[in-house]
Amino acid sequence: MADESLLSDDLLRQLVAVGHVDILVGIPTLNNATTVVEVVRAAQAGIGKYFPRARSVIFNADSGSDDGTPALVRDATTDDTGTVTASRPLRTTQRITTPYHGLPGKGSALRMIFAVADLLSADAVVVLDPDVTSVEPEWIPALVRPVLSSEAEIVAPLYSRAVSDGPLVTQLLRPLVRAAYGWRLQEPLMGEFGCSRRFAGHCLDRPSWGGGAMSDGVDLWMTGEALANGFRPSQTALGPRLLAHARKRPGLPDVFQQVMEAVSVCLEAHAGYWLTRGPAEPVPCTGALPGAVELGARPDVTGMAEAFRRDVVALHPVLATILSKATLGGVSAAAAAPGPLVYSDELWAATVFESLIAYHRAVMTREHVTQSLLPLYLGRTASFLLQYGSSGPAVVYDALESLGQAFERAKPQAAAQWKKA
Amino acid sequence: MTQLVADAVRQASVNFVDTAAMLLPRILITASVVAVGWVIAWALKWAVRWILLWLGFNHGCDRIGVGTVLKTADLPPADTLVGMIVFWLVWVGFLLSGVDVLGFTALEGMVRSFALFVPRLLVAIVILVLGVVCANFAWRATLIAAVNARIPSPRVVSGAVRALVLILAGAMALDQIALARTIVLTAFAIAFGAVMLGLAIAFGVGGGGIARRILDHWFPEHPSTEREEFRHL
Repeated sequence: MADESLLSDDLLRQLVAVGHVDILVGIPTLNNATTVVEVVRAAQAGIGKYFPRARSVIFNADSGSDDGTPALVRDATTDDTGTVTASRPLRTTQRITTPYHGLPGKGSALRMIFAVADLLSADAVVVLDPDVTSVEPEWIPALVRPVLSSEAEIVAPLYSRAVSDGPLVTQLLRPLVRAAYGWRLQEPLMGEFGCSRRFAGHCLDRPSWGGGAMSDGVDLWMTGEALANGFRPSQTALGPRLLAHARKRPGLPDVFQQVMEAVSVCLEAHAGYWLTRGPAEPVPCTGALPGAVELGARPDVTGMAEAFRRDVVALHPVLATILSKATLGGVSAAAAAPGPLVYSDELWAATVFESLIAYHRAVMTREHVTQSLLPLYLGRTASFLLQYGSSGPAVVYDALESLGQAFERAKPQAAAQWKKA
Repeated sequence: MTQLVADAVRQASVNFVDTAAMLLPRILITASVVAVGWVIAWALKWAVRWILLWLGFNHGCDRIGVGTVLKTADLPPADTLVGMIVFWLVWVGFLLSGVDVLGFTALEGMVRSFALFVPRLLVAIVILVLGVVCANFAWRATLIAAVNARIPSPRVVSGAVRALVLILAGAMALDQIALARTIVLTAFAIAFGAVMLGLAIAFGVGGGGIARRILDHWFPEHPSTEREEFRHL
């Protein structure tokens, strides 16, 4: 149930005036003035075009923007529907924007969105990233319909990716979540997603909500919660996901640290589920086939490969504490081998699982474990791009499928080691 | 003359017998104290080792890096080392107590001095252990950060950090037990100052290019690197 203390009196008055809604579109923001208007317009156009009779609300939870983002959300207009205010009758798109207090971050914003969805008894909830510039009105029905038709309770996105796009997802998160949680979900970090009210309520009831790594890794945590608690997943093709370039983002070490912490927290939280989960099942998909890859420009990763060779030598004494002798020997051999760098699927799967177990066992400061994995991740990425950087979508799809299978093969041993730890 | 010699010999004999009669029980007491002390120290050593093994002390030492340092220095495992320290502290304590029973003026006060020395020695050992832990943590943090920040020669940089912390801890430990305090402090100050001065001169005069590259790396006009060229998420 929604915690009403999350919601201010003024917000509660607005929500009472709105009443029950069929669709709630949540947009968590923090200084997104350059992009949020297009996102709001796309959401409103999508609802107006595909759900003209639905009672809907666009709800903006703002984390204290100082660039006028809330005002832009309120004032955004579309050619199709025009500006709609809370005084309009039902079956129009209401628009509410409110600041939230407490811990800053997407986790707190999502919690507020879910609380509002619970209070309004929304049949379907859609969350959009305000930083995305490629959002289309068609994203709304793609994320809503599986929920409204009760085909799924959580709808994950499916992005068209170039071979070099998102290696942290394709090389690490996707195969890891597939092996651990037993679902072939393509985008475990759901930047945009749709879900049922039941799932929103479930998340609201979780005691771990908003704490620890959930502040930064809430996307992954929600994925894990859905898969581990039996909410039917689905995925839907949204096309490419382009982000605003102007926004300053954290550097790779920080991003990698956040992702690995979120992974570890999720695996520890859902150990009871994933340690006994069997082989991965396919996730129903609407739109393009999962894993379809668009051919992009081949990036030059020669420098990354050379850096990997140096880094493995430099980090050897640290890696010896984290990895088994066999895995460390394999990594060292890959780094020392002449010719193009080859970091095999099996070796990479063993590296990831052993690092996570070392993190779980706290063999050293946990931040050191994750930061030691970063050079190896870059080496694996370089190896993959050297091998498949100029391959066609089908070949890349097969390669990523093979990687997923390698993670699945490595899982039983990893689960046994995890239990021992 | 003969009578005088005979009296002297008799007196010496009497004195010897008196002294022996006085010392023999003390020697026996000393031997008993030393023997009992050895048995107690030995028993304590094994008890401490058993408790430490039961607590997983060696595993903990391995995790904080002390185990690796002990292996590198060709020393026994941590539990054995602590057991040995306990054995020697206890047994030397009994040994000095036993010697004190003999009543030798020159040895008087040794027990008291030893009793005063033991706490300082324990504090010095704690300082050394903490120094090793801090040095290992700093070494690992520096190594990983230097590798990820693409700083040249990360192992040299991290090794230097570890050496500095270890030297500092060693100097503090020696100062704690007041062992050649003046020499230690003077040597440390001279060595530390010399190293810092040498590094500053080498970096400023001989490594201007490296300094420029490092500063360019830390404060780039265009922070993009090859690994940042594509989106990772």
